[in-house]
Amino acid sequence: MAASFLFSQFVGGLTTAMFLFLIASGLSLVFGVMRVVNFAHGTFYMLGAYLAWQAVQWLSPTGENFWPAALLAALGIAVLGAVVERLLLRHLYGREELYQLLFTYALVLILGDAAKFIWGTGQLSVTRPPVLAASLHLFGAEVPLYNLFIMILGPLIALGGWLVLNRSGAGRLVRAASYDREMLDALGANVGTIYTGMFVVSAFLAGLSGALVTPIESVVPGMDVEIIVQAFIVVVIGGLGSFWGTFWGSVIYGQVLSFGILIFPGFSLFSVFALMAVILIIRPWGLFGRPIR
Amino acid sequence: MRVRHVLALACAACVLAVLPAFAEGTIKIGFPIPLSGPAALYGVPILKGAQMAVADLNAKGGVLGRKLELLPRDSKASADEAVRLARELIIKDNADFLAGTLTSAEAPAVSTIAKENKIVFIAPSAKTASLTAPANLHPYIFRFASNTTTEGQAGAIIMSKWKDIKKVATIAPDYAYGRDAIASFVAEIKKLRPDIAIVDQQWPKLGEPDFTAFITAQMSKQPDAVFCDLYGGDFVTFVKQAMPLGYFTAIHNRLADGGEVGAVDVTEPLGANYPFGIWSDAYDPVIWPGHEPAAHKAWVQEMKDSLKSPYGSGWAIQGYSVILALAAGIEKAGSTNSDKVSKALVGLTFDTPAGKRSFNANHDADTGEFWGEMVKDPKYPFAIIKDPTYYNPEPVAVTD
Repeated sequence: MAASFLFSQFVGGLTTAMFLFLIASGLSLVFGVMRVVNFAHGTFYMLGAYLAWQAVQWLSPTGENFWPAALLAALGIAVLGAVVERLLLRHLYGREELYQLLFTYALVLILGDAAKFIWGTGQLSVTRPPVLAASLHLFGAEVPLYNLFIMILGPLIALGGWLVLNRSGAGRLVRAASYDREMLDALGANVGTIYTGMFVVSAFLAGLSGALVTPIESVVPGMDVEIIVQAFIVVVIGGLGSFWGTFWGSVIYGQVLSFGILIFPGFSLFSVFALMAVILIIRPWGLFGRPIR
Repeated sequence: MRVRHVLALACAACVLAVLPAFAEGTIKIGFPIPLSGPAALYGVPILKGAQMAVADLNAKGGVLGRKLELLPRDSKASADEAVRLARELIIKDNADFLAGTLTSAEAPAVSTIAKENKIVFIAPSAKTASLTAPANLHPYIFRFASNTTTEGQAGAIIMSKWKDIKKVATIAPDYAYGRDAIASFVAEIKKLRPDIAIVDQQWPKLGEPDFTAFITAQMSKQPDAVFCDLYGGDFVTFVKQAMPLGYFTAIHNRLADGGEVGAVDVTEPLGANYPFGIWSDAYDPVIWPGHEPAAHKAWVQEMKDSLKSPYGSGWAIQGYSVILALAAGIEKAGSTNSDKVSKALVGLTFDTPAGKRSFNANHDADTGEFWGEMVKDPKYPFAIIKDPTYYNPEPVAVTD
């Protein structure tokens, strides 16, 4: 097999990986800091996609204004995240995890039905932004510019997230909140604001990835449940709550999926689930996670 | 005064004559169909079609002097839910017949309930050949859609005419529908063109959001042409991802798709991004340049109005036609007894907006598919089927 085909398979896997990372990073962040497993994260992603479609229709259906539309959608979801955290989720922090699970699952159902009510059940589609509509000829393979953009954006967000968490005052507080909430509270930091901030950032990331996926996928009801399963696999492979773990978990997931399809075309899903099973047996806390004491 | 008495008596007689018909009540048709979730995209137009047929028949006085009543229920595209609803419709709502279901997962499940309760069930859109295969056939199951065998064969006949192709690949959703259709295609193309080799087969799951790896893996086998059975939202996603990867350029747009992606339901959202030049099919071309039957022209206008959509749907005809088929069966049997209606349906020829259809001894309608090359048309902002040809599985001339 020509090397160019292996290269395009690798690039395909990397695109998948970086999209997954954009989505899973927010999920991992909220779990890492707040210990909340947010089932509705996929629904924020779906609503981001719907909002982006809506904004594109308002601004210009031909796609020139895709970027402001995507930003608008992400900001819209960030606001929704703030409302959900301030009004609802914060009452559940002291409770058992089961309540949080039930609550976020209820959000999946309610918001999913609301989306169906507003946008109907049909499939919606957004045109690629004209600037990135072309493809690049690279090592004998066609690499769509839009995919290249996603492959650059992913590591940038990972690096940015790491810098903020590890090299800034706000990041220190966030890390402190994830270790010992009560202690931080006693020291006079406003933990409530930190939690709201984290949830808003996570919702923004979900909304942004939903908006960015519209030029290459169709927007349909049910895309939320589809993506949340994959995002959970990535987070579990990388280690729950570990930011870099989520990044490398995504990269491994993307490549295993991509080459799995090339090598065993009859069992497209088998490879990633086998990977997850193996990792869970060898390191139940994930590649970059820490064993829970 | 006498005249008035006579008139009054005549009126009374009229009322009495009509009464027994109403006394028997309506003929109830249970209709489980996906009305929520991604599959509602097709469930809703099929139901709308069925509702149109019921309204049309009732406007003409119903069947056997009784009005028809449709009992729609949301199956959520789940076989379990469809089974539960079918039971409930029979036991609680006293449905006389069942119609509906969308997928090749729901229909075989509901078929077992129809058998158990001895109630005629007509499936409008499930294509899997196993639905009416000898092992599963019983007196009460009928299918209106073309089946996966027809679909694969039609695709093979079309592809066999592309003389210079030697290497063919396939891609289809990984469940009964995709597997059966591809099996039929492969068997037929090997017969028609023994010189052709199948070089690659991809099986993404239904609802796959990311086809990139499947696309690049398939391109690495360098096929000359592709037989595809992705449909609906999956096809839209597939095209959006395959186009910039150079997939369609590499195969010179020589792809045939049997998943009704020639229907407006898919061409409209893709708009100018459609891979023009591929071949595809539709249950109903809706936009029908060439020899459109006169009955279809009038019907399409009514369908667009009732769907409140400027371009309508290629799937409404399935719902409309199953109700017409059932009504014709009841009329011929002169009864709503399922045993009698079942006997009446076998071999029965009935009208549909796209022409006459009949049920064969295998309980399948002789429904084919309208295939053609997908082309640009200045009148529409999306692809349309050029000169839709009826394949069943051989090409057939369409007549009024």
